[in-house]
Amino acid sequence: MPKTDYLQGALDLLILKTLALGPNHGWGIQQRIRQVSRETLSVSQGSLYPALHRLEAAGVLASEMTSSDNNRRARVYRLTAAGRRRLEAEAADWRQFSLAIRRLLQAEGS
Amino acid sequence: MDDELRFHVEMETRSNIERGVLPVEAHRLAIRDLGGFDQTKEAIRNVRATWVDSVWQDVRYAVRTLLRRRSVAVAAAGMLALGIGITTAMFTVVDALLLRPVPFREPDQLAFVYMGDEHGGHGAVAPAVLRAWRESAGFAGVEAAVPDTSLIEVDGTVVTQAIARVTPGLFDLLGGVRPIRGRLFDVSEVRAGVDDRVLLSEDVWRGLYQADPAIVGRSISIDGERLLVVGILPADFRFPSWNTVIWRAVDFEAPARSRPNVRPIVCVRFAPNVPRADALRIATDAARAADNTNAELRTIARPLAGVVLDPYYRRAMPLLAGGVVLVFLVLCANVSSLLLARMTTRQREFSMRSALGASRRRLIRQAFVESSVLGVLGVIGGLGIGWALVAFSRAFLPDTILLRTLNPLNIDLRALAVTSVSGSVATLAAGLLPAWLGTSVNMEQSLRVTDRGATETRTARAVMRTLLVGEIALACTLLVGATLLVRSFINLAHAERGLDADGVLMATMSLPASAFPYQSSRTTAARSIEEQIGGLAGVERVAWSYGLPPHAGAVSFGKWESDAPGTPAVDMIVDHYSVGPDFFGLFGVPLLRGRTFQWSDPRTEVVVGERLARALWPGLDPIGRSFSFQEQRFHVIGLAREIHFPSLDAALDRPQFYEPFGGVGNYAMMSVRCGGSCPNVALIRQRIVATYPAIHVEDVRALADVYFEQLAQPRAAAALGFAFAGIAMLAAAGGLFSLLSFAVSRRRREFGIRTALGASPVQIRQVVLRDGLVAALSGVAIGAVAAVLLTRTLASLEYRVAITDPVSWALVFGVLGSTTIAASWRPARQAMRVDPVTLLREE
Repeated sequence: MPKTDYLQGALDLLILKTLALGPNHGWGIQQRIRQVSRETLSVSQGSLYPALHRLEAAGVLASEMTSSDNNRRARVYRLTAAGRRRLEAEAADWRQFSLAIRRLLQAEGS
Repeated sequence: MDDELRFHVEMETRSNIERGVLPVEAHRLAIRDLGGFDQTKEAIRNVRATWVDSVWQDVRYAVRTLLRRRSVAVAAAGMLALGIGITTAMFTVVDALLLRPVPFREPDQLAFVYMGDEHGGHGAVAPAVLRAWRESAGFAGVEAAVPDTSLIEVDGTVVTQAIARVTPGLFDLLGGVRPIRGRLFDVSEVRAGVDDRVLLSEDVWRGLYQADPAIVGRSISIDGERLLVVGILPADFRFPSWNTVIWRAVDFEAPARSRPNVRPIVCVRFAPNVPRADALRIATDAARAADNTNAELRTIARPLAGVVLDPYYRRAMPLLAGGVVLVFLVLCANVSSLLLARMTTRQREFSMRSALGASRRRLIRQAFVESSVLGVLGVIGGLGIGWALVAFSRAFLPDTILLRTLNPLNIDLRALAVTSVSGSVATLAAGLLPAWLGTSVNMEQSLRVTDRGATETRTARAVMRTLLVGEIALACTLLVGATLLVRSFINLAHAERGLDADGVLMATMSLPASAFPYQSSRTTAARSIEEQIGGLAGVERVAWSYGLPPHAGAVSFGKWESDAPGTPAVDMIVDHYSVGPDFFGLFGVPLLRGRTFQWSDPRTEVVVGERLARALWPGLDPIGRSFSFQEQRFHVIGLAREIHFPSLDAALDRPQFYEPFGGVGNYAMMSVRCGGSCPNVALIRQRIVATYPAIHVEDVRALADVYFEQLAQPRAAAALGFAFAGIAMLAAAGGLFSLLSFAVSRRRREFGIRTALGASPVQIRQVVLRDGLVAALSGVAIGAVAAVLLTRTLASLEYRVAITDPVSWALVFGVLGSTTIAASWRPARQAMRVDPVTLLREE
């Protein structure tokens, strides 16, 4: 598994994007990110959970405890309206940023 | 949090197993992936709890700082507690007396109604009028009551209690009255055979029957009758009088079955769909039709609260509450300047922390948290003080003052709300300014190793001064107000009454008709009592009367017609007393013209007071003239000097006339003039009862005490005003003292240099004293102007004092001047003693 370093902003973006697909619990979010990025991106729980709580405190996520099948208690997160706006803004920023990087790399390569 | 992480580990383990890892290994991997359970938890906590954590940090820091400077903390918290405490107590009183609506269902719709005109009216109406009102469509409900006193006999002892004969539906009309034991009256309980039902107040139940639950359903002896107790009403319920504690069901419309001449007062509930004016018009018409003496009167409604509430309270309470607010402000200002002084000395600390990266906002917050901790302490202490004050007033105020409200006097949720609001206001007022100013840091200056210049910032200094001047101004205003109240009280106490009440005892007694059925038997009794009492050592004279000054006279109002030609009828309220021949001599009321009574005088011969004479026969000799009142004609045989009832309410000081005492009735007063020392009150009581056991002696007391009791309210107002002014003065003096001490400690260098340059200690002292005096004088000037402006509101509580009263002002200036000098003296001496050599060594 390649170890990927990324900015904290990117982690937020990953979480927001993942939750935009539907409410999910922490483990689910982690698996989702791994699958969708085809095992390129892996979020360690040590940073995932603090990030989730921070985003919740900021009001972009909401959560509730649910009793899932066979009596396991899981905290399920979902995006709030503010979260949706944040996602759009961050996604736009990210696109701009990655475009800039790509241009830079292309310029170097040619 | 644990649940969440555990869930994660479980899921991870399961997925590892699915991928073919051994279970034990799978779990270990999952944990490892988590990067350690505890670290993750810690990381989450860090994310979540920053704000709460840092505030908590501030609180702990504040507590440590306050503990380090314990004396300041105690002084500040104490002052806040005092301010919050008296505010809470005062609010509780004002709330019970004025703010809270009477504790009945929709109290706005309830009213007492009576027939009257612009001069007043009889509170009571004829039973026929009551019936007419009940039958008219004006009101949703009409009930009636007669307040009276009765004698309860418990285990051989007889006590007087206030009773009310009420229509059984009264309690339902009021609404919200719930017996704590038993039940209310049934509507049928006025019929013969079941008309012996009474309700008792919790007070009577506890006081006389030791809260015996079995009393409900038993008979007790009231006025010699056996009456059945059906229920106990809560102690807070007092109606229709402030002291009513027994209720008996009665039917006023029954044909003269109860006592003759009993006229009830009427309480109504307005119908929601009938406008007030219409309801009263309907009632006026009905009353006129039912009773022709109402022809010129109309129905007037009075709110329930106004009946129990004395006009004095309505005037005094808002003013006293205003006084409390001023004291509260003084105390807040004082705490504020105290904290500001503290913060200024901590400049170094603040600049250090600022240099280490604390933001301004954080510094302010931290300073404010410090004052909030004080505020919390103040609220706790204030609650205690408020509770103690209320408990104290409940325990020590006489019932006549305490029970003037239909609401109980206790600290309830509303009072608690006021406590917390005043606590927050105090904290904001006292803490915000110091936090803002104290933390403004001048790096360059304050990081120097020694403070060279005056480090006290200009703003802080100016603010502290302003606060102090404000405090002194408020204290001065309060002092002026208090002085006027005290002077009013003294003037009232010493006002000319027109009669000599000192050394006179009065005995009020009732001679029940059952034991004294005939006029002759009563007269015999009166004669022999007179002999018995007259024979006691120290007794000079004894006189019987019906009605006694200051307030036990009968009151007549209406049109007084003089026999002088061309004199119009005069509309006024007049006191009259039935007095024996000795009355004038006993009380030292000189007869200016004519003669006093003889036993043989008919009831139509009267002695008039000067004011009545002036009103009826201006400029003429009243002797031999006559006047008529309510179709009765009176002949004047004497003119007596006017007697006065000194009162804030000038309407209570009425003109008077005297009728000859026709003989002892059911009820009579005996006045006893003593020479030298009066016989013991108990002895007089005992003599009367020993002679005639059937006579009930209601009261024996010094007449001077009765006059003195009339002053209870002005006395309470003066005492409270004085206490408020005292607290404010002490606080202001403390503020002045701490400001000057603080300034001196900051200016030690300057004084040292001055001394080194040749200034004498006296000159140094003068610098400080002048500082104090300037602050005090500016405060007094502002306060005096404010007092003059505010005095208008005080006018209704003043008795023969004006704001220009030189004695009051001399007093105010004297007190303020001496307080200023006293507060400045020690700081000034400290300044004098600054020794340049020691100062040099210190650096």
